[in-house]
Amino acid sequence: MKNMIRIAGFSLLILMAATTALYAAVGCDLNDPDKDVARLFPGSTGYKTLYLSIDKKGGDALLKEIEKRLGDKFQGLFETADVPYTVYEVLKDKEKIGYIHGVNQKGQYGGIQVFLALDLNGIIKSFYFQKLTSKAAKELRDPAFGKQFENLNLSDFYKYDVVSAKAITPGKVESVKNPAPDAEADFKAAIRATKKNLILMDEFAFQNKYLSEFHPK
Amino acid sequence: MLSIYKVSYKNLLRKKTRSILTIIGVGLSAWVLASLMGFNQGYEASLNRDIDNMGFQVLVTAKGCPYEAATLMLKGGTGLRYMKESITNLVLVNPEVDKVTPMLMHAVFDPNKGESGGMSAYLGVDPETFPKMKSFLEFKQGKWFTDSKALEVVMGYEAAELEQREAGDILLIPDKNIELKVVGILKRTGTQDDGTIFVPIHALQKLFGKTGELTGLGIKVKKDANIAKFEEKLYELPDVQVVSLAQVKQTIMNLVSTAKVMVFSIAMIAILIAMVGVINTILMSVFERFQEIGILKSIGAMPWDIFKLIWIETFILCILGGIAGTGMTFGLSKTTEFLIRKLLPYTPTGSLIKLDFNLIAMTMLTVLIIGLVSGIYPAWKAARVRPLESIRSELN
Repeated sequence: MKNMIRIAGFSLLILMAATTALYAAVGCDLNDPDKDVARLFPGSTGYKTLYLSIDKKGGDALLKEIEKRLGDKFQGLFETADVPYTVYEVLKDKEKIGYIHGVNQKGQYGGIQVFLALDLNGIIKSFYFQKLTSKAAKELRDPAFGKQFENLNLSDFYKYDVVSAKAITPGKVESVKNPAPDAEADFKAAIRATKKNLILMDEFAFQNKYLSEFHPK
Repeated sequence: MLSIYKVSYKNLLRKKTRSILTIIGVGLSAWVLASLMGFNQGYEASLNRDIDNMGFQVLVTAKGCPYEAATLMLKGGTGLRYMKESITNLVLVNPEVDKVTPMLMHAVFDPNKGESGGMSAYLGVDPETFPKMKSFLEFKQGKWFTDSKALEVVMGYEAAELEQREAGDILLIPDKNIELKVVGILKRTGTQDDGTIFVPIHALQKLFGKTGELTGLGIKVKKDANIAKFEEKLYELPDVQVVSLAQVKQTIMNLVSTAKVMVFSIAMIAILIAMVGVINTILMSVFERFQEIGILKSIGAMPWDIFKLIWIETFILCILGGIAGTGMTFGLSKTTEFLIRKLLPYTPTGSLIKLDFNLIAMTMLTVLIIGLVSGIYPAWKAARVRPLESIRSELN
């Protein structure tokens, strides 16, 4: 009898807690996941969606660790620990073949959304600006620009300082060319967003595979 | 010495599981009933608040023009029609008018949104009149623009979040390469304003070559004015359509009343089931204690004493069920609200279920009346037990 009451009480508590907080921060989802996943991951047959956040995964301590790995603080009203991130686990039949994940980034003239398609080792398969408000949007959205990010991974980005936009040690990111020198701020924003995206994915999906390669300046 | 209440209470404890299940049944009915009555009060109050939050009661638009951003987006930014700004003066001469605010909606194609582009919409508003009508809007950062020609914007919270803008930043109008300075970010309101980018009306008119043109005119009517009569007058203006928020509210309330009737029917069924449950529990208990009741009578208990004893058991079950139901109503109000929002095609912002003392008192009273009525038959049955027959049945 006591057990029954306990079970009933517990179920009631779960129900009461079921309603999630209103007005949470807005994340970064693919506009048309069915089409976008198929386009960004040719050969895929489906996907699963996971919703994660820094808050849920590790709170303030994790935020500090991510900032350290990024080499920059999270800034402003909207880059906060409660931002929900949508991770698309890409499937071929029932087998997982990679991930797609996007982040919001503040650009010079508006919001930038950078999506990366990653293989199971965290290597970039393709780079996609879902949204880009920039005077150089045409040049930056040109496939040739995105192609420069292919085959890079988080190790490559550790060698690059996103604040000064300079290489800490010579590496592959240094060779990513800005197609529009007038839009330096948006170019830097794209690099920062890519690094942030890779760090978050390392935390969310790759069990900090690249953490051992991180050596603070 | 044991009181009659204690005896009744102890009787219920003899079959704990059955008593608890009956209390849960009554509690569920009380929950449905209280939530429904709370919804009845809350939905209308929230809808009224949403309509008040629009700042105006009547909206005049050019004939055939979509008057809200969602429709505009669905139509891909097409379908906008314009009316002359001079219409403001024609409306202002009516004695029913308290305030008016002109608006211009404009949408531009953004080729850099998604794979094949998307629309971005801007709402031109008058800094003199619009903030006064929307006095409930609060700022997270900055403030309203003060010049109707300034190249500035105020952004709703979600629009700012999408564009990652803060006060002091520059916002680019895509495809036109026009720079606007962000002077304010609004706090969340839970309304369409959250996704809106507000631009000073004359600046927007100039930027998009729409000088002297409007897509809408918001009208705040004086408190004692006859809105229906005023609307008729507005229809005399050439090529305009009048959207009365009172009409909108009426239409929504008509739609919701159908849902209410359905939920009310479900509540009635739940109450009937609870009633049958109570009758069943008490009747079972009477049958099980047939001999015991006979002995009580043989040692001097009067039929009325037995009736009271059984009736009090029903009373205790119902009062505990009512308390449980009330607790569930408060505890689960967010979940209930979430479910209602999923079910109904339109729900206003704010609390949909309004709970207050009167409502809880009403629920408790209803549950008690139902419970006491349900208890009459078992109590009457028990009161009519003949002592000799009952004792003889035990011997048999």
